Amino acid sequence: MILYLLKRLAVLLASTAVAGVAVFAFMALLPGDPAEIALGVNATPDAVAALRERFGTDRPPPAQFADWFGGLLHGDFGTSYVTSSPIGPQIGDRLGVTAVLVLGGMVIALLIAVPAGTFAAVHHRNPLGVAISAASQVGIAIPAFLAGILLVFVFAVKAQALPSGGYVPIAEDPQAWLLGLLLPWLSLGLVQGAVLTRYVRSAVLDVMREDYLRTARAKGRGRMGALWRHGLRNASIPVVTVLGLQLATLLIGAVVVERVFVIPGLGDLLLNGVAGRDLLLVQGVVMVLVVAVLLINFVVDVTYAVLDPRLR
Amino acid sequence: MLSVDGLTVRADAVELVREVSFDIAPGERVGLIGESGSGKSLTALSLMGLLPEGVRASGTARLGGRDLVGVPEGRIKDLRGREVSMVFQEPMTALNPLMRVGAQVAEVMTLHGRPRAEARTRAVELLDRVRLPRPAQLARSYPHQLSGGQRQRVMLAIALANEPGLLICDEPTTALDVTVQKQMLELIAEVAPALLFITHDLAVVASVCERVLVMYGGRVVESGPIREVFTRPRHRYTEGLLAASKLTPRGTRLPTIKGSVPAAGRFPEGCVFSNRCPHATQRCETEPELTGEGHAHACWHPAD
Repeated sequence: MILYLLKRLAVLLASTAVAGVAVFAFMALLPGDPAEIALGVNATPDAVAALRERFGTDRPPPAQFADWFGGLLHGDFGTSYVTSSPIGPQIGDRLGVTAVLVLGGMVIALLIAVPAGTFAAVHHRNPLGVAISAASQVGIAIPAFLAGILLVFVFAVKAQALPSGGYVPIAEDPQAWLLGLLLPWLSLGLVQGAVLTRYVRSAVLDVMREDYLRTARAKGRGRMGALWRHGLRNASIPVVTVLGLQLATLLIGAVVVERVFVIPGLGDLLLNGVAGRDLLLVQGVVMVLVVAVLLINFVVDVTYAVLDPRLR
Repeated sequence: MLSVDGLTVRADAVELVREVSFDIAPGERVGLIGESGSGKSLTALSLMGLLPEGVRASGTARLGGRDLVGVPEGRIKDLRGREVSMVFQEPMTALNPLMRVGAQVAEVMTLHGRPRAEARTRAVELLDRVRLPRPAQLARSYPHQLSGGQRQRVMLAIALANEPGLLICDEPTTALDVTVQKQMLELIAEVAPALLFITHDLAVVASVCERVLVMYGGRVVESGPIREVFTRPRHRYTEGLLAASKLTPRGTRLPTIKGSVPAAGRFPEGCVFSNRCPHATQRCETEPELTGEGHAHACWHPAD
């Protein structure tokens, strides 16, 4: 178990380093000189050179990378070339908002998928089970932003029950915070829940055919008792894989949903950075998103080992 | 103790087992032999109430005064694992891979009302009883850490835990190495209460059982004491089966039963064996009854 964890940890650290190089190299390859952007088209070459020196962009790329990556290791994302404010605190604030958005969406997805998928598997021979499968198929076909717009139309515009957008920090007004996040959570969670339902259904169906479920019934358990005690944990192994992939998708989906609902999260910050040509800010946000995905994979690997003794 | 009468198993319109009747007395060991598809496993599963989805049993089977067939699951599940237990063919997949072996043995006891701590102690005793080495340590391991033979012993420990009156074994040694098979058979013979032992291996039946039922095409075609059935088979199928399993001199052709077992529902009307039987006549188009006291057979042209 310890060895397995150390291995996964080594993979996590190595891939973070590789990701750092990749993100930096990609941004460095993009055309556009931060000093020229900051000074505009009428700047004198001398002024541009002076600003380059101040930004440190006149140095060779490896030195710039070492500086940037070294800073990251203790939480320093550098100072924006555009706004001259430190990037780290901005990312920190926004990360919390996005994390709440994504995790809330995931919880809703799980609350839908686990009962619906299990039900659809247990009743796979009768019409209601088939209907659930069909409904989840429809859900898969709807992108999250469209679900968001539909939800806004129904609950905010027609029913006027929930705000159509905006974000209130929890410290200011917990109720407004919750109401504001409900629609974004739903638009992420409903779609992901539909996708996940199909995976839960097929995982439970597979497990229902397993010999050890028959053994459990031969011991005196009923059909559902056997599934509950012996089936669900086994079925959760493939579901965890999909869950990890989905969390990564949700993170990306959040970028769009934040736009739809005017939520100041990482996605919003990223799009602002792109629009304002704030290269260092974009680089920082992308790096944070990449590391988040790597961390999710790490957690998935650790979860496998907890669930399945064969992997330890 | 177990009394089966007119047991019929159907999947939709197809009859898979037809009118099977037999009794097992307390402590008696009965073999059920036949080829794949003869209906022997379905017969056993219907006694456990564990038939696959879409397959239904009718007729009666009574175990110590309780009905096993045609009653809702809730009414018989307290019998399973307590009055009647089953060991399955495939030891590699029959245990939950995520649960410690000791816990899986203890589960069958706590499920039927034994306190948890007591069940745990007894689980180790049971593992010792089925001759697993270092039982206390083994109880803490997971199934993937055991060999096939060891897992099958664990299954046997589970089956014996509540001291059931009847043990059903469905080809318990087929998936095991030959060397392990013999030890397993000796163990089953030693610890089993009344036994219904399913196999396609004649030698195994001869070594474990006192009485044998021969199944073909979902019917019992011959039954009787092992010695009589094996030395003086009456039904032509049994005769062919025994001939095919004898060692033959070098250079001679292996005797076989001509043709192959038809698919379910494709057996001939009348005697199910008539399309493969060298002695079949017009008369075999009507179904023969299983007749005879002690040694019974269902054949119009029995061997003698």
